[in-house]
Amino acid sequence: MSRIIRTTVLAVLGALWLLPVYLLLVNAAKSPESFTTKESWIPTDFSLLDNIAEAVRLSGLAESAASTLLYAVVAPAIAVVVGAAAGFAIVALRLRHGFAWFVVIFGGTVFPLQMILLPLFDAYSRVGLFDSRPGMIVVYTAISIPFSAFVMRNFFTGIAHNVFEAAVLDGASTWRIFARVYLPMASSALVAVFILQATFIWNDFLLGLVLSQSDTVRPIVTSLAGMQSTYGGAQMSTVLAGGLLVSLPTVVLFLFTQKFFARGLALGQY
Amino acid sequence: MTSDQTPNPRRAKDQYRWSAAGFIAPGVLLVAVLLYLPLLWTTFLSLTEYNGLGDPEWVGFANYVEMLDDPEFIGSVLNTLLWVAGTLLVPVGIGLGVALLTWNLKGGTWLRLPFLIPYALSGIGVGVIWSFILSGDGALDQALAAFGIADTPRWLVDAPLNTVVMILATAWQGVGVNALLFTIGLQSIPKEPLEAARVDGANGLRLFTSILWPMLRPLTAVVVGLSIVASLKTFDIVQGMTKGGPGRASETLALTMYKETFVNSEYGLGSAIAVFLTVVTLAASILYLRQQLSSKHGV
Repeated sequence: MSRIIRTTVLAVLGALWLLPVYLLLVNAAKSPESFTTKESWIPTDFSLLDNIAEAVRLSGLAESAASTLLYAVVAPAIAVVVGAAAGFAIVALRLRHGFAWFVVIFGGTVFPLQMILLPLFDAYSRVGLFDSRPGMIVVYTAISIPFSAFVMRNFFTGIAHNVFEAAVLDGASTWRIFARVYLPMASSALVAVFILQATFIWNDFLLGLVLSQSDTVRPIVTSLAGMQSTYGGAQMSTVLAGGLLVSLPTVVLFLFTQKFFARGLALGQY
Repeated sequence: MTSDQTPNPRRAKDQYRWSAAGFIAPGVLLVAVLLYLPLLWTTFLSLTEYNGLGDPEWVGFANYVEMLDDPEFIGSVLNTLLWVAGTLLVPVGIGLGVALLTWNLKGGTWLRLPFLIPYALSGIGVGVIWSFILSGDGALDQALAAFGIADTPRWLVDAPLNTVVMILATAWQGVGVNALLFTIGLQSIPKEPLEAARVDGANGLRLFTSILWPMLRPLTAVVVGLSIVASLKTFDIVQGMTKGGPGRASETLALTMYKETFVNSEYGLGSAIAVFLTVVTLAASILYLRQQLSSKHGV
């Protein structure tokens, strides 16, 4: 197919793909007074910032955002190091039955979350972790570990073992070799996994829905869902503005780190 | 590893035994306590009658019998199958199409960008946008009216149309990442056989069926496997757009499990649905796990 046809097809399809984004921007910017469900395609005014402020006020989005940021930074940070440590034990330290242990950790990712929701809810309620930030961080960390261990094991497999032996001859301890040699070599993979997991956690809905209830602990996407059911009828432009606010961080992060994303996906898929 | 560097491999192995155990322990412990223990507990609960008060009461397979007898459950299974088929057909298919169209195309990276923008949205975010577009007299109906089509269906109310439009909303989000994955696959195809085929006069469809498709097959297996597993777990977007309604018409298995458990407090029945969903998901996972665990290329 000629280049011109290909470019045209892609441009038309791409424009079609951007229409929902256009509709979101235009309607999230309409003040509640000028918003009508009958005229969605034509911009009227620009009250986006007012709408965002109103959305934040209505659903306590500011507190949600702060908590979610905490979850999305701390949990993947712990998970990549824990996952890298597991990969290091299996590949560099040649842990006995290493592959079996790897399967045990990786197996944690293959079943649906539905399988753990109820016991977690039950146990969290009993030990006082329900609706608490530490509780959310712990569960997000745990579900991020399998993928992280998977990628890091694959990555370390690509490092020649005599790198490890040379460091041993230099008298370095295993901890030192891990922290000073292996982790720095893996920095790009670590960043890739971190970004993927941070996005996943920021976008989580289900765990937030089951394991939290207060505005201060509830993740932001769960708050958005609550806002949609409560105000979706009467204040649609406010809800759309809220949706825009909640979505912006991951979309921007993704667009600016596409290379890392692709790398993380490639590391994870193969 | 050569033998003169490590005189006694067996001793060297023992030397790091405890150290290795220490490095893997945090990962194993966290996964065991937060993922495997709950998994076992859910499996146990699926064989009991329990509503959160008192103790679970052993009922054997009664929950599974009740589940399979329930027409709503069968409807939920059918909806889930529709999700699996639909997300394979649309986002994977269009994703492959976009990857092929942008492949070796000047400005391809930019032309791919519109498809990538929705990817990082949450399911709820996608739901908020599309609920708005698909509402009665909403943006879609207005656009259709401009083309003279006034008699439109109620997109999110009529079943199974509501499931179909939610699949399309998911496709809107998912095409970009599939395109990205297929692009990575296309870029890793060695140049020589391609050039040889081109010299032999192969192009277009013939180039695709004889060279590209066979070479993309391992990657396609992964993309298809991921798509099936993800669609089996569909929850966020349905909960965000129809809440499984009207009535229970658009429920997926993940939603049915959630409702039975956390709305109806039928812990045993909800757990049985979770186990059922898990067995199906595991069977589908084997499709791509075999690929993931056995091959190490591309890393």
